[in-house]
Amino acid sequence: MIYRYDGSYPGFLCCVFESFVRKALPLAIEGPETAQLSFFDGRDIPTEANKAARVEASLAPVLGVRAEELVHYAFLSGRPEKELLILRFLHMAFARGRGAAWDYAHPDAAPVLDLEKAVRGEAHLLTGFVRFQVADGMLGAVIRPKNYVLPLLRPHFCGRYPDKDFLIADLTHRTALVYQGGTADYAELPPDFALPPPDAEEAEYQALWKRFYQTIGIRERYNPTVRRTHCPKRYWACMTELQDER
Amino acid sequence: MELLQKLTILSDSAKYDVACTSSGLDRAGRHGSMGSCTAPGICHTFASDGRCVSLLKVLLSNVCAYDCCYCVNRRSNDVPRASFTPRELADLTLQFYQRNYIEGLFLSSAVQLNPDHTTERMVETLRILRQEYHFRGYIHAKAIPGASPELVEQLGLLADRMSVNIELPSERSLNLLCPDKGRKAILTPMGQIAARTAQSREEMQLYRRAPAFAPAGQSTQMIVGATPESDRQILRLSEGLYHKYSLKRVFYSAYIPVTEDRRLPAADTKPPLLREHRLYQADWLLRFYNFTASEILTEEEPNFNPYLDPKCNWAIQHYGMFPVDVNTAPKEWLLRVPGIGPKSALRILSARRQAQLDLEGLRRIGVVLKRAQYFICCKGYGGSRSPKRETVVRALLDPMAFNAGCEQLSLFSAPQVQQLAGSGLPPQIAGRMVQEEVVARYAQKM
Repeated sequence: MIYRYDGSYPGFLCCVFESFVRKALPLAIEGPETAQLSFFDGRDIPTEANKAARVEASLAPVLGVRAEELVHYAFLSGRPEKELLILRFLHMAFARGRGAAWDYAHPDAAPVLDLEKAVRGEAHLLTGFVRFQVADGMLGAVIRPKNYVLPLLRPHFCGRYPDKDFLIADLTHRTALVYQGGTADYAELPPDFALPPPDAEEAEYQALWKRFYQTIGIRERYNPTVRRTHCPKRYWACMTELQDER
Repeated sequence: MELLQKLTILSDSAKYDVACTSSGLDRAGRHGSMGSCTAPGICHTFASDGRCVSLLKVLLSNVCAYDCCYCVNRRSNDVPRASFTPRELADLTLQFYQRNYIEGLFLSSAVQLNPDHTTERMVETLRILRQEYHFRGYIHAKAIPGASPELVEQLGLLADRMSVNIELPSERSLNLLCPDKGRKAILTPMGQIAARTAQSREEMQLYRRAPAFAPAGQSTQMIVGATPESDRQILRLSEGLYHKYSLKRVFYSAYIPVTEDRRLPAADTKPPLLREHRLYQADWLLRFYNFTASEILTEEEPNFNPYLDPKCNWAIQHYGMFPVDVNTAPKEWLLRVPGIGPKSALRILSARRQAQLDLEGLRRIGVVLKRAQYFICCKGYGGSRSPKRETVVRALLDPMAFNAGCEQLSLFSAPQVQQLAGSGLPPQIAGRMVQEEVVARYAQKM
């Protein structure tokens, strides 16, 4: 049995609902992106708000707030098999109760904890690696993360620039975080989205920053391996000072 | 002079300063100002030498009145000189900050005229940032030895972290290499900062609006390899500094020759990167693993083992005290096991409340079984059955010291490997030869 759903979080909760009603794990759970033709029996799971709400409402009281948080963060992962991993964890957790999220050694908990770690890790890196450009008094940045990290970046940047309007465009997930006039919201990216080319002042600060970056490295200690482990090359394309080094 | 040129000169002069961390303080943003801080700190990029760039690290000026012989900015050195005006630097910081290039400012300076004048200019820069621009990001300020206590006080009320460079590991070396700075001139502000930070912490508990003095604590740094101190001396000094001045961090920087001077190592000396690395490893053992300096290095062996990290070295010398039962051992003992770090130790404590741990579970937790297997027992595993000592040593050796995985000779390889490679042997073969010899030697000693 394969579940197909719309890729949304409530949709996933309906898959959880279905699986618990049937007391069985599906072979796979496919979103709109991961769906593929297969010989296995497939079932389309419709997204129903009341079912999703029932599952969501049970997480914290039955499994504890930590488990609820874990599920939320793990679902932001970009890994294709995340749904099944989380579902497995939920079956184990509802059978076991509150301790499940703390059982780092359990074969059903460890993979979900790893998903969460990857999501939080990438979000933390991006709090540093996001590069804004100033255009017409607004800040604009482009990122290409593996995981859907905008919800994690939101409190960080809204807190940091409370009086600035800004936009962070996630090209992987075609979504933008827009903060304008003190309120933040998500918006779908138009297909032809691009940041405006830098004006003279912006170009000057980019040049200053690049120069600073090139100067601060010590030649006698040149160590590209360590740089790559801390700052993987997949981020370089969106980072002002590293764009040209690729 | 153009801003680009100034920035180039003044960041080039500051690059040998090690500390670039933005940690130790949580401060939320606020309407009407810009910036915030997060306690773990944030790295914004990594330089070509692999070091984290978190702060805009510049000197306010590199026009120096002193003549410390190891320093690029010393008076007698012929380098281009420049100074920022306080407003120029405050503006640049803000522009970089809003583009998310940096977490804040790391402000240091050469001694322009005298320590007081220099500090006044630093205070002015920070005042503009904090009070005119309402900047709430991170500021690390370097106290200039010899500045008056009143100015250090002003600096500390504007900065988040302060540091005073201890420069060299002993008073003798200090007198020899930087005749203008005395040990006392360094330790006095350090003591003042420590006392003031503690005092302000107490006051803030009593009344909410008490002014914060260097709320992210203080750090220091020293140069390693320019003078003859042993590793043990250096580590004991760090331990003392952590205790006496409640420092957050001690940084070590491998000496890179910037000048010819008969008091210094020859100009073609390679920076002792492996030694610096071992010092940091030991420093971590002091701060996160409950080790003491005298456990890590003894009087008989006052220097680090180039082939083993200090924790593995300790484990081999105390092999008889293992295995540790992962399911019952207290945290301090878990932390002594090679392959278990602070994170996996916490996870073990949490997971073993849920169920007895076996090897598979430990692997999932993130324990490095390649090393840990010889030092633990757990459910279904009574410990490695009398393994050959060579096997244990081999598992613990630090591959980096033997030039593993590098075609070219790495700066991190052990001195003996560098020597062999220097005599014409391909580095990888040199590494393997030394490794075989080391395995046999340590297995015998165990």
